[in-house]
Amino acid sequence: MTHAVPGRPRLGAIARKIGGHLVRGLAMIWVVATISFVIIREIPGNPVLGQYESLIQKGMSPEQAERATAVLYGFLPTGNLWQQYVGYMGSLLHLDLGRSLSTPGVEVTTLIGHAARWTVLPVLAGTLLSFLLGVTMGVYAAIKRSGKLGDMLALSGSLLHGVPVYVIGLLLTAVFATLWPIMPSGGPVDVEFVPGFNAGYIGSLIHHAVLPVVTYTLASYGGWILAMKSNVVAVLGDDFILAAELRGLKRGFVFRYLARNAILPLFTILALSIGMLFGGSIFIEEIFNYPGLGLLLVNSISSRDYALMGGTFLVITVGIVVANIAADLLYTVIDPRVRSGGAA
Amino acid sequence: MTANTAARDIEAPGVRIRDLTVVYKTPAGELPAVRGVDLALAPGTITGVVGESGSGKSTLALSLLNAVQPPGRIAAGSVEIDGLGDVLTLRGEDLRRARGRQVGYVFQAAQNSLNPLKTIGKQLLDLGRSHEVEDLRGLVREAKDLLARMGMDGARVLDSYQHELSGGMRQRVGIMLALVLNAKVVVLDEPTTALDMITQATILRIIREVHEERALTTLVITHDVGAVAEVADSLAVMYGGRVVEHGPVTEVLGEARHPYTQGLIRAIPRLTGDLSLARALPGRPPTLGTLPAQGCVFRERCERRMEVCETDEPVAVNRDGRTVACHAADRHLTLIKRKEFV
Repeated sequence: MTHAVPGRPRLGAIARKIGGHLVRGLAMIWVVATISFVIIREIPGNPVLGQYESLIQKGMSPEQAERATAVLYGFLPTGNLWQQYVGYMGSLLHLDLGRSLSTPGVEVTTLIGHAARWTVLPVLAGTLLSFLLGVTMGVYAAIKRSGKLGDMLALSGSLLHGVPVYVIGLLLTAVFATLWPIMPSGGPVDVEFVPGFNAGYIGSLIHHAVLPVVTYTLASYGGWILAMKSNVVAVLGDDFILAAELRGLKRGFVFRYLARNAILPLFTILALSIGMLFGGSIFIEEIFNYPGLGLLLVNSISSRDYALMGGTFLVITVGIVVANIAADLLYTVIDPRVRSGGAA
Repeated sequence: MTANTAARDIEAPGVRIRDLTVVYKTPAGELPAVRGVDLALAPGTITGVVGESGSGKSTLALSLLNAVQPPGRIAAGSVEIDGLGDVLTLRGEDLRRARGRQVGYVFQAAQNSLNPLKTIGKQLLDLGRSHEVEDLRGLVREAKDLLARMGMDGARVLDSYQHELSGGMRQRVGIMLALVLNAKVVVLDEPTTALDMITQATILRIIREVHEERALTTLVITHDVGAVAEVADSLAVMYGGRVVEHGPVTEVLGEARHPYTQGLIRAIPRLTGDLSLARALPGRPPTLGTLPAQGCVFRERCERRMEVCETDEPVAVNRDGRTVACHAADRHLTLIKRKEFV
């Protein structure tokens, strides 16, 4: 057995690890793409064939209708399953997700790109904010768990965790946009500003983002505080914390030992929820009239825009897969036990 | 050896535990886990404390660092350490500085006393910084020396994470961390539990050697009478939160006076001879809730129970260097002799 310096991962091992993750990630994306292809094609009423037939009824020649449908979905409406599948996968490889039905002529990728702008930043800000807040308060709630303050914090977590996100959103709009109107009631930005890097536009963006971000933060804060509290309590019971105290370590060191060990399991959840943000938040975007990915998905479903639907699903999948890989790689950086292959 | 002994007499601090009572808060009120314990650790000696689970020996060990964990509370008594004063009156920063610097504590092997996310070396540096060690290089050198003394490659160990070390190695790291700041009083809580026989023997030898070399005053908590016989100079036997017998190890094991000690010794299977000669103590050790409120705590399991045991708690009586707390021990001494301990 060649024994490398313990704790230091070798470069080859890292490359192998990343390679393995990529292969698995691609496989997962492929599976989801395949499933979404089959569903769209096999759904009752077969929208692909339906589109083709309705175009013919509108007076198109079969060839024209076939081409028009192929542009929409990325594969020919006629032909056997296998040919269609190859056609669909081929256009996927060119990052061509087809064209939208509800917004005729616009590519699905363009629509998703536009919507993503209104989703990723606010939701990312909300996720990170709630994570920081929840984790800090969770530590506090755990340490003061036998006192009033700890009880209050834990209770606030349980309550907020139980309240649905749309209730929080509606409450905030009612208070801050209606009763005491200091915030805009909806929309991503005021129309009077010229888009670009100017103070007015960016200020308006931020102003409009406050309520959605706060809603998102409050909605997920409860989960973080509860998870962090139970982790901290568990680590507090670990012997190495008492051992550190009995060795006379300064409070700061003991606290860092505690926090780092307790926060570790939360990173996976954090990475996953960042992946999930590509799905947007349907309720928040609906309430605040934010044209993000969640709204796009809802609209695509209600207008039976299958190409857009499939594309949105695929983007969510990719987001989660990538986040998963990132979480795993992050773990190898922050947890030495994972780094060396987990041998104890 | 004489020079060594002389050095020890000057350097090693004595420890005097007086009338120590530790209570735990339970639904049934505060119950004593350690009650009225008097125990003196002579400077430069190894004192062993044996007892069954729940006899209060770990609570006693934690008291030496004023570190009884809630819901426990030190209700009365004092723990005087030479050069430090009464540990039980120390608070806050004074207490923190005494821990590690003056009193070293070694955890049970099976438990993890190391931060899993940091290398041993980094934890050593945290320890040094916590105690305002100016010369961190010197500290690392000292740690490597200690590890080498215990048969390990210091540089490699300091560069390792806890999960990369075996149980025996972790235990030695624990001993190193307890000694590296030059603490003169060392408390070892079950130092060999959960280790295999060979490693046990190694750890015991290391404890003995380091103890001699550094002129320490050492307290070893264990439930393994064999382990204690190997390292200790004197032996205290605990039962139900009391020290029922205390004296030089050869005398206590050679001619036990307390019926509980006698029972313990009888329960040890012999290496040679009939296995059935080993007799387990009848009954079960008391828990906090089942401790009798008055009388002798051991009477339920005692074969020499008398009427007085029901009502009066036996007082520890000191005679020719040995302390025994038993009504029967004074009346007629039944000596259990085991030649391997004499």
